[in-house]
Amino acid sequence: MTNKAGGARILLIEDEPQIRKLLRMTLQAHGYEVQESVTGEDGLLQAAAGHPDLVLLDLGLPDGPGLDVLKRLREWSPMPVIVLTAKDGEEDKIEALDSGADDYVTKPFGTGELVARIRVALRHAAGGPAAEPVLRFGRLTVDLAQRIVELSGERVKLTPTEYDLLKALAQHAGKVMTQKQLLRQVWGPGHVESEGHYLRVYVGHLRKKLEDNAADPLYIATEPGIGYRFLTGERES
Amino acid sequence: MAEAAAQPGWLPYAAVVAGTAALTALMRVPELGMDPVNAALIYLFPILIGAVYGGRGPAVAAAGAGILAFDFFFVPPVLSFTVADLRYLVSFAVYLAVALLTSELAGRLKRQVRQAVTQQRQTAILYDISRSMSDVADVESLVRTFRAGIGSLTGEETVFYLPGKDGRLVRYGADPAAAPDVEEERMRRIVESVARQEAGDAGSIRILDGATLLLPLTAEEESLGVLLLRGDPQQAGAWPADRTRCEAMAGLAAGALARIRRGEEARLAQVTAESERLRAALLDSVSHELRTPLAEMIGSSSALLESGALFGEEERRELLVSIRGGALRMNRLVANLLGMVRLESGLLRLRRDWVGTDELVGAALRQLKEARGERAVELRLGDPAPLLRGDPVLLEQMLVNLIGNAVKYSPDGSRIVIAAEEREGFVRIAVRDEGIGIPEADRERIFQKFYRSGNAASVTGTGLGLSIAKAVAELHGGSIAAGPGDGGIGAVMTVELPAAATDQTGGGEHDE
Repeated sequence: MTNKAGGARILLIEDEPQIRKLLRMTLQAHGYEVQESVTGEDGLLQAAAGHPDLVLLDLGLPDGPGLDVLKRLREWSPMPVIVLTAKDGEEDKIEALDSGADDYVTKPFGTGELVARIRVALRHAAGGPAAEPVLRFGRLTVDLAQRIVELSGERVKLTPTEYDLLKALAQHAGKVMTQKQLLRQVWGPGHVESEGHYLRVYVGHLRKKLEDNAADPLYIATEPGIGYRFLTGERES
Repeated sequence: MAEAAAQPGWLPYAAVVAGTAALTALMRVPELGMDPVNAALIYLFPILIGAVYGGRGPAVAAAGAGILAFDFFFVPPVLSFTVADLRYLVSFAVYLAVALLTSELAGRLKRQVRQAVTQQRQTAILYDISRSMSDVADVESLVRTFRAGIGSLTGEETVFYLPGKDGRLVRYGADPAAAPDVEEERMRRIVESVARQEAGDAGSIRILDGATLLLPLTAEEESLGVLLLRGDPQQAGAWPADRTRCEAMAGLAAGALARIRRGEEARLAQVTAESERLRAALLDSVSHELRTPLAEMIGSSSALLESGALFGEEERRELLVSIRGGALRMNRLVANLLGMVRLESGLLRLRRDWVGTDELVGAALRQLKEARGERAVELRLGDPAPLLRGDPVLLEQMLVNLIGNAVKYSPDGSRIVIAAEEREGFVRIAVRDEGIGIPEADRERIFQKFYRSGNAASVTGTGLGLSIAKAVAELHGGSIAAGPGDGGIGAVMTVELPAAATDQTGGGEHDE
């Protein structure tokens, strides 16, 4: 997958020089081309002029909320955006994700985590979920064409809602999904966040059928306060 | 007599005349053989009764009727108004004198009773005011209570002039329209001149006009402001007589004001002392907690920079791992410090999400992956794991602190058991370790901010983690407690949180 990502151009909108330097070094080491911008205004200009493959946006910019930059960018471009946020800004994270950010990374972050998020976002932007009819994650296989789910080659019986939920998660594997996004995708646009309880219950059902240990999940990880993230199905070392 | 006022004015007169007539008829009964001396005495009855119940008019009327009846029926020659013996004229004079004297005495007595009743009522209201004064904690409610009390007592308008923050007098308790008919500036000057006068100076009461009185409010030799009383202009003359009452009320108000001020000063002093103590403890604990990982990071990184070539691959990696470990520790410390500030600032908005205990424990364990080392973590979360409704981020931080403590105070390779169960509307999460444990005497105190148990001195820490965990549990309507571990080894931390009030199956009707 490294070769797939290689050469992609990343626009970095970040005002703090130390973080900018660290990110530049890391991203370049992973083979990305890096454009830098210190302010939101300049970042928007560069995004329009340079057409980067992905934007890394700090939500705490000095010239105004990064959220505004995101919304203005989304007015004309679907390019993947990963936001950088502080730990205690759960509301900001959710709002950014529901405003069109593809993912978030919480400061302070490990570079491995950041690069993994970038790869996932680039892959989703390039391929699109419909491209592959059979999704494979370790021992888990999801056949989208035939609606068949198998774990270690054995068929797993899922109810229609459980299947729809698994499909929504698996199609966005590696990417965080907010509760709102999942509810909308599985139950339709009429459903609201107050029904997060149902979502919780169905995630519980799915985990029971797919996971060995719900507290240390292989597939469906909880991002407390945000939503869920579908994992690759393999233990990180 | 309040009832007498309701009766027609002629009734007492008619009553005494009728009484006199009835007595006359009675005494004329021949069998009684009433002689004039007895009759003269008996005729005093209507006069006395008239004087006591009717006042002077009916008393005189009774005297007149008595004189006429006595003269006509008993004074020889009987059945004529002619008076043969002039001595009887003395009796007539006595009748009149008795009428006037007793009515005067009775009237005075009645006035005294009325006055006593009024005074008793005033005293009761004053007592009421003084009692409610002892409850008031701020100037606004003092003014309100006082105005209401005085209003029901005498109907007087009361206005307080109290010094504000800038030293100028601020008016409390009257809209400008109700203020005295004196121009604002002049009023202020007068009020300020009263306020400046010495305490206990009796001459400092100022009568502005017939109905408006200014009283200085002084307590402990200090001027606290001015009280303005404004009564009915019709009764202007009554002020000097009422002076004692006015001064008593001013004293009452001044006492309450002084008490409010003392309370504020004491509160301020307490807050200052407490924040001083906390600041010192914070500085002490944080500076140590920050220095340790910083020393680790600075030392390791400079070793790599200055003499990296001397280290082998394995050693270089170890140094890098310790740099990251120090940074992660600092990150947790900063998260706890920020968490404390957020919890205490009152600005925190508690989110209410559905969250499973398994998810929370999983997220907390992921955060502690590196710190955990070789400790075996055993989960007994139930199936399904109990569901909570609360702020996921805060609950996660609570669990990170509890599990982090279990890790910190127990040896590598020991066992940590995390259990969750739902019972009687509460979800109980217990974190059990095989570490150094908590002395019984400290099991309450370890939840205080910056408090660290004596046996924990060898392990670094801020004393913040458990106080945050406690604050989070309480914010969710729960509680937290510390106890001894299994067989007295180690410690167990138990959190009790209200269970999410809903059925666990939820929405099963959507499928199957």
